[in-house]
Amino acid sequence: MKLEAKYQRATFVAVLFVLLLTATSYYILIYNALINQLDESLKVEEQEITNFVNVNKYLPEESHFSDQQIDFDSTDKIVSRKFISSKIYSKEEKELELIRQLIFTVKVKDAYYIATVSKPQSETEDLLILILLNTAGVILFLFVVLFIANRIFIKKLWQPFYIMLHQMKEFNLARPGKLAMVGTKIEEFTALEEAWTNLTKKINKDYETLKSFVDNASHEMQTPLAIVNSKLDLLIQDSHLTKDNVLHLQSMYDAINKLTRLNQSLLLLAKIEYDQFPGKQEVDLNELIKQRLIGLEELIQGRKLQVTTNLSAMKVLMHPQLADMLVSNLLINAIRHNIPGGNIYIEGNEEHFSIQNTGEANELNRHTVFNRFQKHSQSDGVGLGLAIVKQICETHHFLVIYAFNNGIHHFELTLKT
Amino acid sequence: MKILIVEDEPELSKSIEAYLKSEHYICEVAKDYAAALNKVDAHEYDCILLDIALPDGNGLSILKEIKSNRRTDGIIIISARNSIDDRINGLNLGADDYLPKPFHLSEMSARVSAVIRRRKLGGNSLILFNELSIDTKAKEIFVHTTRLELTKKEFQLLLYFVVNKGKVISKNAIAQHLWGDDMSSADNFDFIYTHIKNLRKKLQDAGSGDYLKAIYGMGYKLTAT
Repeated sequence: MKLEAKYQRATFVAVLFVLLLTATSYYILIYNALINQLDESLKVEEQEITNFVNVNKYLPEESHFSDQQIDFDSTDKIVSRKFISSKIYSKEEKELELIRQLIFTVKVKDAYYIATVSKPQSETEDLLILILLNTAGVILFLFVVLFIANRIFIKKLWQPFYIMLHQMKEFNLARPGKLAMVGTKIEEFTALEEAWTNLTKKINKDYETLKSFVDNASHEMQTPLAIVNSKLDLLIQDSHLTKDNVLHLQSMYDAINKLTRLNQSLLLLAKIEYDQFPGKQEVDLNELIKQRLIGLEELIQGRKLQVTTNLSAMKVLMHPQLADMLVSNLLINAIRHNIPGGNIYIEGNEEHFSIQNTGEANELNRHTVFNRFQKHSQSDGVGLGLAIVKQICETHHFLVIYAFNNGIHHFELTLKT
Repeated sequence: MKILIVEDEPELSKSIEAYLKSEHYICEVAKDYAAALNKVDAHEYDCILLDIALPDGNGLSILKEIKSNRRTDGIIIISARNSIDDRINGLNLGADDYLPKPFHLSEMSARVSAVIRRRKLGGNSLILFNELSIDTKAKEIFVHTTRLELTKKEFQLLLYFVVNKGKVISKNAIAQHLWGDDMSSADNFDFIYTHIKNLRKKLQDAGSGDYLKAIYGMGYKLTAT
């Protein structure tokens, strides 16, 4: 829910509550005042009747006007004087009408009479309707005014916030831009801006440190590897090596080779992760796949694999080195985990790229297949190939999924999402 | 042929020096930027192996210095940073080749030999080995006067052996040379065996001696005898 909607709702509830309360209390106050006034005029009538009887010693005539009715009924006992509200049927308006009555006892000579003076109370009803209509009008008017005012005011008030939010959304570590100052005088927003500026400064600094760490780690590890490698190259020139020596040396070569690839893969992953491959170009994956298949020909033939391709133009925006890495890793994965005499099916167009291969009979765990160092025990890879594939896909907003069907392992990339 | 090795890691420069000396190159070593600059100012070299990350300066400045004097020294950049940007940067500044660490000494030696051929001999040299003559420009190999019909990989392989003659070349180094980073699994060493077998047969059919020797468990060697 948007801030504005939330604020509008809260305001409306408050306004509604206050206005209803006001309307109710108005109604009670005015109703009472009017009833009092009515009662006063009934009392005046009472006084007039009493005076008339005192002077003339007989009852005045009953009267039946629409705004005032006077009735007399003989009685044998004195009733107590009281004001009542009741309803009578009005012949003129053909409906029940609310009236206010004053009942009191009049003594003429030795006889008692109950006098009833009635006045219509419809004026108070009209008033009620008037007040309700008025209140409704005020509520409606207030709502409209408040809605518009809130809208303008909130927009203006929160503008610095939205500017900052936009900056945060656009924030990219790989391309640190200067933050535009929002220029607000609201204390909370100045504090937020300050916190945000400090945070980005720190993040950028940490990122720079990390970047140089990645660079340095690369340098620091490659050189010792180069030394060991070169010493081995010199060592094997020795003609006095025994067969055992030679086997040990070969194991060392293989271990160094693996360590080198591991180091390169980890550095590559870090570099992709930290978006250090700016400069996307249009790359035709179709061409790339064809080239890589030629490069991997011997590997494919060595395992007697049958490769079937169904490719059309696959132009995508990618960093060329990453495109190459993506295609190589997927192809090598399909070759390396294949069975002798197996098949590889490659399909691709502008939207999809899929590689299917025969392989081990069991399904791989689809939740962990792209994890780092997730490898099959028989594999001599370092277990980072598919993690690199996943990472490259993520930075390019491609979707990559693994599926398994009838002994076929299937990697499917959605290039346009 | 005179080579300058600019490398701050003494153990690595010792290895490079030992290997190149055994191939009859004359080697000098500079262990930092200042020493390298002094040597470059004083002498011309056929090839300079240049580590660009030096403790007291960037090796690329030495490259610029050499190139600004219109010198013909061949230059191979050695770098721990195997990044495309670095490579392009170095080659744009006039380096002849770019060799990422770690590398095999046989690979390094082959690159040195190629750079010297290109730089000093205009690429027109014939590499001679007994009855073999290799025309690196036309990419042709002759046994006496018979032209060998070789595949691209067989040509690369034989050239690699000839420029590293007398040296044991590990299977890892051969795989790296022929296939780059793609081919690293141990089971793929079978392909090397197949290539060597085919190459040996083609050489013998053309009347060449059998110079390719398998070194048990290790690799292969081209020997003159």
